[in-house]
Amino acid sequence: MGVGDPPGMAIAHSTASGMGGMRTAGDLVARMQMSRGMRIKEAKEYVASKLGVSVIDLVDPVVMTEIRQDLNIGLTTPLPGYAKGMEAKFNIAKVLEIEINSVNKFKERTKR
Amino acid sequence: MKKYRTRKGDGSFIELNENELKAELEQGTSDAADRGKISPLSKEELQYLFELFTYPSKFISVEMGNEVILSYDAATLKVRRVGVSTHRIQSLQVYEKLLGADMLEFDHVDYSIKPVKPIITFEQPELEQALLVTTLPLYYGAQPNLGLYNQPDGPCPNPGELYAAGKISEAQDSQEKAVEYAVSDMVQVGSEMYESGADGINFDTTGAAGDTDFLATLKAVEILRKKFPDMCIEVGMAGEFILGMHGGLSYDDVRLAGLYPHKQIELAQKAGVSIFGPVCNTKTDRSIPWNSARAVTYIKECVKNSKIPIHANMGMGVGGLPMVDHPPTDVVSRASKAMVEITRLDGL
Amino acid sequence: MGKEELFKQAMDAIISSDLKKAEEIAKKAIGEGIDPMELMSRGFRVGITRIGDLFERGEMFLPELIRSAEVMKSVSELIISALPEESREKSGVVLIGTVQGDIHDIGKILVASLLKANGFEVHDVGHDVSVETFIEKAQELNVDIIGSSALLTTTMKYQKDLEGELKRRDLRDRFKTMVGGAPVTQRWADRIGADAYGEDATDAVRRAFELLGKS
Repeated sequence: MGVGDPPGMAIAHSTASGMGGMRTAGDLVARMQMSRGMRIKEAKEYVASKLGVSVIDLVDPVVMTEIRQDLNIGLTTPLPGYAKGMEAKFNIAKVLEIEINSVNKFKERTKR
Repeated sequence: MKKYRTRKGDGSFIELNENELKAELEQGTSDAADRGKISPLSKEELQYLFELFTYPSKFISVEMGNEVILSYDAATLKVRRVGVSTHRIQSLQVYEKLLGADMLEFDHVDYSIKPVKPIITFEQPELEQALLVTTLPLYYGAQPNLGLYNQPDGPCPNPGELYAAGKISEAQDSQEKAVEYAVSDMVQVGSEMYESGADGINFDTTGAAGDTDFLATLKAVEILRKKFPDMCIEVGMAGEFILGMHGGLSYDDVRLAGLYPHKQIELAQKAGVSIFGPVCNTKTDRSIPWNSARAVTYIKECVKNSKIPIHANMGMGVGGLPMVDHPPTDVVSRASKAMVEITRLDGL
Repeated sequence: MGKEELFKQAMDAIISSDLKKAEEIAKKAIGEGIDPMELMSRGFRVGITRIGDLFERGEMFLPELIRSAEVMKSVSELIISALPEESREKSGVVLIGTVQGDIHDIGKILVASLLKANGFEVHDVGHDVSVETFIEKAQELNVDIIGSSALLTTTMKYQKDLEGELKRRDLRDRFKTMVGGAPVTQRWADRIGADAYGEDATDAVRRAFELLGKS
């Protein structure tokens, strides 16, 4: 969804209905829909169990910033020495116990 | 009687009293129920919508705990669409870090499969770079856009011109040929982008050229699913029902023309789609309450009939949202909440 | 057979794209002294309007619509030929096209088909049509209405340019203008000064009749 007016559409939807992306656990829940075809309830429960938090914590940026730091799975505000981009996805694959295509491709391409 | 301020589908402000607002909601759901041959919303759901559209705040949201996934089609185009000079990877970072996206999509400015094919080896390295610096799931996205396979833009005789000349069977033959070309291109682009490392492919605005467009997509999905069992394939629709531009095409012995979202999802699942994006078009001369009730009615039935995640399209002129470049947040937030909390879908 | 039954059969003949039946009904009605224009407006035209509605609901598809439109065209010619010379009048002449930079023409084809079926003389100038071509063709063909379609927010501006160019050339009062297309609204039509907006193909026919004072 979307239109060329982020304040009118992206920000409005994000604030009204969205999980919050990397500020919270939105990307992780999305990955369960994409990789295992889970519906939203099941996907949230799965991610919450893997992170060791309650389902409601998944959309709390305070809790999730700490969890994301602890598990080193990518942060909205980057910190020195923490995983970013592809590095974060390596850790997400491990935490969620899923295959991530770009991570696998990275491994293949860096084999010697 | 007290008047409530809302808007029309073209974004204009209108004022409705209690009876008028209730009538709009009832007529909206009845219209969808009648066209789609599905159940209308219940009295409780209509009351919920009434309260939502009479709530005095400018902006409203779902209750905590009801949040869903937000995916963004054409994300790399939309920052530049408002005149901000960003590179495509920067645009993805804007969506990831600044706009709260849960999933991203990398796309070419033309946003159609056919023009991507000859430049695919330019697209792949940039997608691969984007995958290195982003954390969110990342699709490659484009529209099947079957119209590009017709003359003068493509190899097939123009069905519009053939129809206008009364050459119906020739027009249908031409469309069938276009399906073959499109399937081949969709499979090639989907495969190459997955080989590059994309989390999946999004065939967006499917059905824009009618039943041929939908058939090409289903066939391409079927092939890609066999080739890449773990690939995420999202299919987003163009309209609430499949236009019968050919009229006689079927998939799995089901005629495609005239299918509404709750029937489209059945075929999408059979073909191997991972996430489905149904659409309900906004009628610009009716109110947003009417449009929202109507959209929610269609999508609720689709969600009920689905085993896979549903991400309803909630962009400009769809999903109960007005057809304007700068959608007002009063109605966007209401349509968003209504869609999520009544249909219980999985994402937008 | 009563007049009302005949009108119903005329409507059904159009819906089922039955040319033979439609011609039989037309001949029978004319033979029985029924006003041909009444037969048209209360019988055949009701049928083609119903076809448009069914298409808009996904219950009828383009090939059927085209077939019905062809039947409607043939039967219209037959009825017009039965009218006295002085009452033979076209519904109007329309130039229709999709604006520059825009290759979408499905909606425009539908509108053109239904306009033809309703007795309009339609000149379809295709897609990716420049403002210049719209105006030159409209003058050359001496049309009543210029209809422009835009399916993209990026190409809607050419509908505005068309209005401006017509004014600049002192031709604005010479033609009625209609706009349509997915992102187009009544609000946009009002803003650019177009005479009418058609929400869908059936609505476009209604608005065309209104514009020419024939509703």
